[in-house]
Amino acid sequence: MIAALRVAGVWFAYGGRPALEDVGFTLTAGERVALLGRNGAGKSTLMRLVTGLLPPARGSIHVGDEDTRVAGPARLARRVGSMFQHADQQLFARTVREDVAFGPRAIGVPSAETAARVERALQELGLDAVADHHPYDLPAPQRKLAALAGALALEPALLVLDEPTAGLDRRAKRLVGNALSGCAERGAALLAITHDLGFAAEALTRALVLERGRLALDAPLARVLTDEARLRGFGLVPPPLARLSVAMALPGTPVRAQEVAAGLAKRCRA
Amino acid sequence: MRRLHPFTLLAVAAALPAAAWIAPPRTGGMATVAAALVLIVLLDGRQVFTVARAAAFTAAPLWLFLFVLHGTTGLVETGLRLTTVVASSFWLVAVLPPPRLVEAMIARGWPVSAAFLFSATLSAVPALRVRAGHLVDAQRARGLRTRGGPLIRLRALRALAVPLVLSALHEVDERTLALETRGLGPGIKRTPLAPPPDSAMQRAVRWGILVACVAALAWRIA
Amino acid sequence: MSVLALDRVTFRYPASTVRALVNCSLEVDAGEIVAVIGATGAGASTLLLVAADLAPRVVGGELTGQVRCDGRAALLLPTPWTQVSGMASTVWDEVAFGPANLGWPRERIATSVERALKRVDSGALRDRDPATLSGGELQCVILAGVLAMDPAVLLLDEPTAELDPVGAERVWQVLRDLAHEGAGVVVATSDLDALPGCADRVVWLSQGRVHRCGLAAELLASPDLWEPDAPGSTAVAGVWHRAALPAPAPLTVRDVVARCR
Repeated sequence: MIAALRVAGVWFAYGGRPALEDVGFTLTAGERVALLGRNGAGKSTLMRLVTGLLPPARGSIHVGDEDTRVAGPARLARRVGSMFQHADQQLFARTVREDVAFGPRAIGVPSAETAARVERALQELGLDAVADHHPYDLPAPQRKLAALAGALALEPALLVLDEPTAGLDRRAKRLVGNALSGCAERGAALLAITHDLGFAAEALTRALVLERGRLALDAPLARVLTDEARLRGFGLVPPPLARLSVAMALPGTPVRAQEVAAGLAKRCRA
Repeated sequence: MRRLHPFTLLAVAAALPAAAWIAPPRTGGMATVAAALVLIVLLDGRQVFTVARAAAFTAAPLWLFLFVLHGTTGLVETGLRLTTVVASSFWLVAVLPPPRLVEAMIARGWPVSAAFLFSATLSAVPALRVRAGHLVDAQRARGLRTRGGPLIRLRALRALAVPLVLSALHEVDERTLALETRGLGPGIKRTPLAPPPDSAMQRAVRWGILVACVAALAWRIA
Repeated sequence: MSVLALDRVTFRYPASTVRALVNCSLEVDAGEIVAVIGATGAGASTLLLVAADLAPRVVGGELTGQVRCDGRAALLLPTPWTQVSGMASTVWDEVAFGPANLGWPRERIATSVERALKRVDSGALRDRDPATLSGGELQCVILAGVLAMDPAVLLLDEPTAELDPVGAERVWQVLRDLAHEGAGVVVATSDLDALPGCADRVVWLSQGRVHRCGLAAELLASPDLWEPDAPGSTAVAGVWHRAALPAPAPLTVRDVVARCR
């Protein structure tokens, strides 16, 4: 089975400034990965390389069987759905529905199929009520959801996101979490840059930590989140539930709300 | 050149286009374009090429436009004048950082809102350029084709121009709030932090330029 | 005596039929930190604009009710890049921007800027060009710029939204210190985990109205915050509620440990 994403020995520098050094990892279908690291560690650069916007100086990146150095971003859009930071600013169509349809149309999906995909994406993100509104009549958080709907409508094999929950309230975060789960269950691989470790704990299972352009750690997310000393060394802060799990020595040291609640219930009733 | 008072630089940049219009058409136009090019060449090494190229890329479509509108009648005359405007504007932006201009305006007692308007317009450009870059990335990653025939490029333009303008407008709104809350507003006289040095000679030169332009205009009209 | 008081304020944006704020009353004392929470669109940003005397003065719209502020109220917005003055080539000049606008004499500006930079721990950045700073660094510089104006009330709209966790921690620490020094602080935030130990009182806005208002320790423990469209509370309170354990819910890890010993 071809991996959803294969990054091998990638180096990249902006002018003289090194941004990525010898980064390599593989993602398989359905995997949900958090890309962590302090600001300036190279996360956004890696995202631009994976979407084909920049070619690696050394090494290679394969999305499915496409080499990003050969296929441009337009062609890669058939495999990779992406949502960059400030995605709320990228909408340009007259209605939300039209904007969500832009991606599938651009990659050549026939109109009937496009319409169906757009409906599904809008429903998943709770946007069906505002589908015919002008995007800029909506507040920024809803525009962000519309941008995500656009990425989902591509039905990509790989979904790459940069801070998908920034600026969203509890309800919107839940919608995003559910949409991402749905996507992963349908076989897509997820790669999300995020500072929101609480959200990561709920939605993602593997952690890749970048430090000064290098891949410093590749481990199960739960294990990383419960190792406070190590996290702080990377300039990260453990989320409250992970700290709770450790402090109360819950069996299995879970990090997800449901399991922490279950563990806590047992511990505190006893 | 940078050490000159901002108003002097402003006067020179304004005098060239004025001269281009006042002086006899072809020779005057050629002289002022030449003068503008000399100014550009006098810039810091790295900037010369970027400014010259930017000015050329902006002026070229204008010539094309004129040709389409008027054919060859008056093409050279008007073209040279417009080129002077373009070249001297680009030179001004390169040689005068907006903060310096604003400090000069404020030190002279110009109303703060006028100074801010000037500065905000000029300093919005780098921010917009960065934003445009991010926008291009996001749209390309969605499948937008930016290379190809004119129709493709036109579609691409819409996907880039609309969000850029809308978000720029929104940003102006937010910016206004942020600056208002930091005290920028009518009524209080702002303390100049580092007023640019001026000299009697520069003042004389500025007045001289103004008088020369007015005299030339009067002579042309008469 | 309160430094900021809103009395039955109702506000409508221009060209809008919906009222963004309905009958809101709020009082903030010196040295107090009040957190405003609510779902997106609940009116938190509008409340801050009204308190900062930017609505309706700059924004337009219609206001009924009274707004009183004992001194200067300064507002900090979530996006650092929008707030940069564009007229400063160094961080020092950027921080001095506000005081200079107030027409203060140079010596007073200098002392104020130094003090503000120290309070946000950004003295090392003083000669840097603001355009080269990261989001977190820039937000702290803008905060210093606002502090340098010696506001009586500091209003912050999602100040940590664009920051990484380490940057966010720093901002919350600065706010705690400020309140100690006597400023009144109103902060609209969706980072509820930061509130225990920081906010004194919490105001819960819903559809433009003050839905609930009370001491942080009490309000944040309320199970109502976990209704579907409610803003939620701290993650710890969330799992306590989910585990159907007896109220009141503890808010932090430390509280749980103390409770379950």
